[in-house]
Amino acid sequence: MTSNIITLAASTFLETVRDRIFYLVAVFGFIMLASTAILSPLTVGAQGKIMADVGLASMVIFGLLVVVFVGSSMVRKELDKGTIVSILSKPVGRREYLIGKFLGLNLTLVSMLAIMGLLFLLMLFLAPGSFSFRYLGAFYLTFLELTLINAVVVFFSTSVSPILAAVFTLGVFTVGHLSSSIRDFGQLQGGVFQKQVSELVYYLTPNLEVFNLRGLVVHGTAVSVDHLVMATVYSLGWSVLLLVVAGSIFSRKELRGE
Amino acid sequence: MQAPVKNRTLDREGSVANLVDRLTEVQLPGTDLPPIPASGSKPVLEVRDLRKSFRSGFLKRRIRGLEGVSFSVNQGSVFALIGHNGAGKTTTINCILDLVHADGGEVSIMGMDHRDPASRSRIGYLPERPYFFDHLTGVELLQFYARLLGIPKGRRAGRIDEVLKMVGMTGFGSRRLKKFSKGMLQRIGLAQAVLGEPDLLILDEPMSGLDPIGRREIRELLMGFKRAGTTIILSSHIVPDVEMIADTVGILKDGCLVDVRDLTELNHGFSYTGDLELSSADHAWLPPGCRSLEEGKVRVRVESVGELRNLLNNCHREGIPVASLATHRSSLEELFMEINRENPLGREVAR
Repeated sequence: MTSNIITLAASTFLETVRDRIFYLVAVFGFIMLASTAILSPLTVGAQGKIMADVGLASMVIFGLLVVVFVGSSMVRKELDKGTIVSILSKPVGRREYLIGKFLGLNLTLVSMLAIMGLLFLLMLFLAPGSFSFRYLGAFYLTFLELTLINAVVVFFSTSVSPILAAVFTLGVFTVGHLSSSIRDFGQLQGGVFQKQVSELVYYLTPNLEVFNLRGLVVHGTAVSVDHLVMATVYSLGWSVLLLVVAGSIFSRKELRGE
Repeated sequence: MQAPVKNRTLDREGSVANLVDRLTEVQLPGTDLPPIPASGSKPVLEVRDLRKSFRSGFLKRRIRGLEGVSFSVNQGSVFALIGHNGAGKTTTINCILDLVHADGGEVSIMGMDHRDPASRSRIGYLPERPYFFDHLTGVELLQFYARLLGIPKGRRAGRIDEVLKMVGMTGFGSRRLKKFSKGMLQRIGLAQAVLGEPDLLILDEPMSGLDPIGRREIRELLMGFKRAGTTIILSSHIVPDVEMIADTVGILKDGCLVDVRDLTELNHGFSYTGDLELSSADHAWLPPGCRSLEEGKVRVRVESVGELRNLLNNCHREGIPVASLATHRSSLEELFMEINRENPLGREVAR
């Protein structure tokens, strides 16, 4: 079982690496990071902070783009083309297949974040007094957030079209960052219905603000180990839950081999 | 030896007595066919009462895909599923491989439930339209499948070279699949199917979309696997190809398996047509269904050598000349056409 998952993950990783869209988005990511170096001289006294702020934000945005656009079509593409049929005619379980795909995309994500992170740290190193290892905590939280989003996109890609999967995933990403605000807004409005709806949204969507300590890190606060552990458990918990449900849906799916 | 002709006039000018005599001397087609190939009695695949329906359209109407399909395939034999487009051939294969979930029935692969992924470890499968990761080269693709099949790392390269040679693709292994032609994809598909030295090879329309040369090459490959004793299930609507390869054939129509025939038996099924010169068809010994042709001639069709011998004996006794005598082989194509005659286009059930 494990070897099948590793094989499928490696194949997915290789596919994304050879995918021109992936390169395009990665290049854009690098361009964004490079542009911080151009923008920062305009900000007197806060050069490092601006670089870090824009750099961390662009890492999230480009990581999100890769996860959403590659992930949303990943399973559907194989269903449409029929490559999945010859894979699942081998002794491979459907859940193994799905987990392999998820891990493969996550491997792509790790590689991409690692390259972007190194570039980011290199740029900070070149700006006097800006370099700090506390940014590693922010990188790790970004990775956890995008891992969760990866699970969300795999979940949607098993049941809806790539476009809808991308739209729904971007919706979850947006609501996930606003869920606390939505709940607070619902509570303040006072109506029973609004309260219930805002509570429902809060509990049905992952709270992605757990992973958003970028502002604090940029302003000099290191992420505590406790928070990193809690965020890891939170991300893994949601990811496992989503993959279990996705696996269940996918196991019942008809692969017509056409 | 099997006669290579479908219609052959044995004796147009000879006397009836001569014909009767020659019946004992001449090896008539169908009387000296090779024995039925020995196949093991152990069933590799058993399909019992397989049922499948699909929902289609806005109103999600239920459409029958398969209805009570049952058959078994013994070790070393070649079983062909034939039927018109939409008869349920691909659906049967997809159900066997659990790519679509059957509504009911049982499928057992070498004693294991087909829903267990482990049951597929001894199966090689070539889909109808083989499409593989086109970002990979031929060797990379086979390495990927070799890993999924659990072929030990040390044996992979050697086995990949073997199968590439087997399908005539040596030298093309380092080329990306996106540059492969349809025939090359079919070959690489066959290579991945036989990579794990499967006990059961399932081939869905292995020769569809190929040019005559490609068809012949794939057919020869399949004949090679057959000679090597591999159990094969193939689906096709190219009946002559099936006739050449298969031992047993199952005919699907509208999702139902309407006939299962041993092809060797079917090939024994010769009939004989004789044009006799008779003043009338009013002879008690004439078999039913005689057809008057022209003045003084009657066409008689008999189904066996024994019946033919009786007919000729009677003609000889009564001095009735036999204008011509022809043999006629009941081909699979005729059987197939006969079964589908009620609805020649077939009903698009499901693929």
